[in-house]
Amino acid sequence: MTTLNEENIQISFPPDTKARKFDDKKTHGLSHCMKAVDFVVEEADRISFIEFKDPEKPGASKENQMEFKRRFCSGGLNEILKYKFRDTFLYEWASGIAVKPIYFWVLVAIESLSEPELIAQTDDLKRKLPLKGPRSREWTRPIVAGCMIYNIKTWNRNMKRFPVSRIDSG
Amino acid sequence: MTITRVNLERFTAFKSIDLRPSPGINVLVGANSTGKTHLMKVAYAACYVSKTKEDFANKLVQIFLPSGNAIGRLVNRRKRNTACRISVYRGSQSLKSSFTSGTKVSESANVEGLIKWAADPIECVYIPVKEMLANAPGFQSLYSQRQIHFEAIYADIINRAHWPVPRDPMSPERNELLGILKEIIKGTVHAESEEFFLNSNQGKLEFTLLAEGMRKLGLLWLLIQNGSLDTGSILFWDEPETNLNPKLFGPVIEVLLALQRIGVQIFIATHDYAILKELDLRNKAEDKLAFHSLYSSKGEIAHYTSESYLDLHPNLIREAFTDLYDREVQRSLSGVGK
Repeated sequence: MTTLNEENIQISFPPDTKARKFDDKKTHGLSHCMKAVDFVVEEADRISFIEFKDPEKPGASKENQMEFKRRFCSGGLNEILKYKFRDTFLYEWASGIAVKPIYFWVLVAIESLSEPELIAQTDDLKRKLPLKGPRSREWTRPIVAGCMIYNIKTWNRNMKRFPVSRIDSG
Repeated sequence: MTITRVNLERFTAFKSIDLRPSPGINVLVGANSTGKTHLMKVAYAACYVSKTKEDFANKLVQIFLPSGNAIGRLVNRRKRNTACRISVYRGSQSLKSSFTSGTKVSESANVEGLIKWAADPIECVYIPVKEMLANAPGFQSLYSQRQIHFEAIYADIINRAHWPVPRDPMSPERNELLGILKEIIKGTVHAESEEFFLNSNQGKLEFTLLAEGMRKLGLLWLLIQNGSLDTGSILFWDEPETNLNPKLFGPVIEVLLALQRIGVQIFIATHDYAILKELDLRNKAEDKLAFHSLYSSKGEIAHYTSESYLDLHPNLIREAFTDLYDREVQRSLSGVGK
């Protein structure tokens, strides 16, 4: 079992996975020119890129939380997420690691986010990555096999292999 | 005085329900056949007769249209030979009616409290799901002279739309609301004989040429302009989302919240997530909201009322989205590029 954390959230991985913190200045080495997701996880049949956003971490101001939610619901966060995904994809491809289907899982730890809001932004992220090629055709070599935006509740309901929890409930 | 309580015993779908509405906006949610419209129609009938002083039981027949006008058919059918009781309250005042499943004509139904109830008349409006203004020409005379099978709410709303503008000057709040609606419908509304038109920069447009959603907003403009919706009045609006683009839900909810702030009590029945969410996002701390969830429990209709959208339970609309979301996750997890 490997446990990693980002901001105030920790995530656990089962022994049959290779999980590493990716957005780390010491190990990444190219943070001056490439954006990065928080974790890269390798399994037998897939690689998962995982990004955490934790606007409700203890001590965060209400104003910042509201601003983050507004930015999320208007699609602004997806603009950042797409570059994080693409740069991580390029980095891992150039490193010779990205040889399996790649999935992108995003955790936005805002308790009040509802499923319709998460679905709407997931659809938007699919368009922005993009999941499909021109005129909605399948890519010959897809950039991303699947992506989803979760809150903590929907993550733990659906991603049971990688449970997440708050380190400090504040 | 607003409606403070609606108590129904063995009436239509209900075995027993005791609803305590908010003086502000009341949102009724629930699956089909949980009685949302029936609750609104009963309360509307009670408000309506406070002005006209007509027989409450007869108004119920006109609104519900039981077969052969047999009011007894409105009694809950679970038990044979049973009686129903309807009670609508405004504080300590109440209007009641009771009748049995064998009651054939509304005159035989028992009605209590009409004289006191009518001493304090209520302005009320019921906007049905189907838009009627485009069908207004000839409808009123046909409805008054012939027995056509239309619930009275359709004739009532056309009558209301034809009301002349009151003598009192328009309040700044109502004027502002008219401005918001004028912006959306891109014009103002007027009637010539029995026909409604939108006056826009394209000229005079017949209502039949307008999108149904725009006709409904045009109706709302008329009701505010002619004073039907003003302090002390009550609005019942069945599925305001019908025929409206979701982009317009925000401005419509703003108008409803503003009407509530000037003292209009509002009842809406909805199946739409975006309507609920707009209310949740746009309401302010001083706004008075109540979410009433109607649901089937052990074969009977039960209800739960909360002041906050998030506390509403059960919320079938949200549950439908949860199911969609989980299926979306399963599709994403199974890859590739779906």
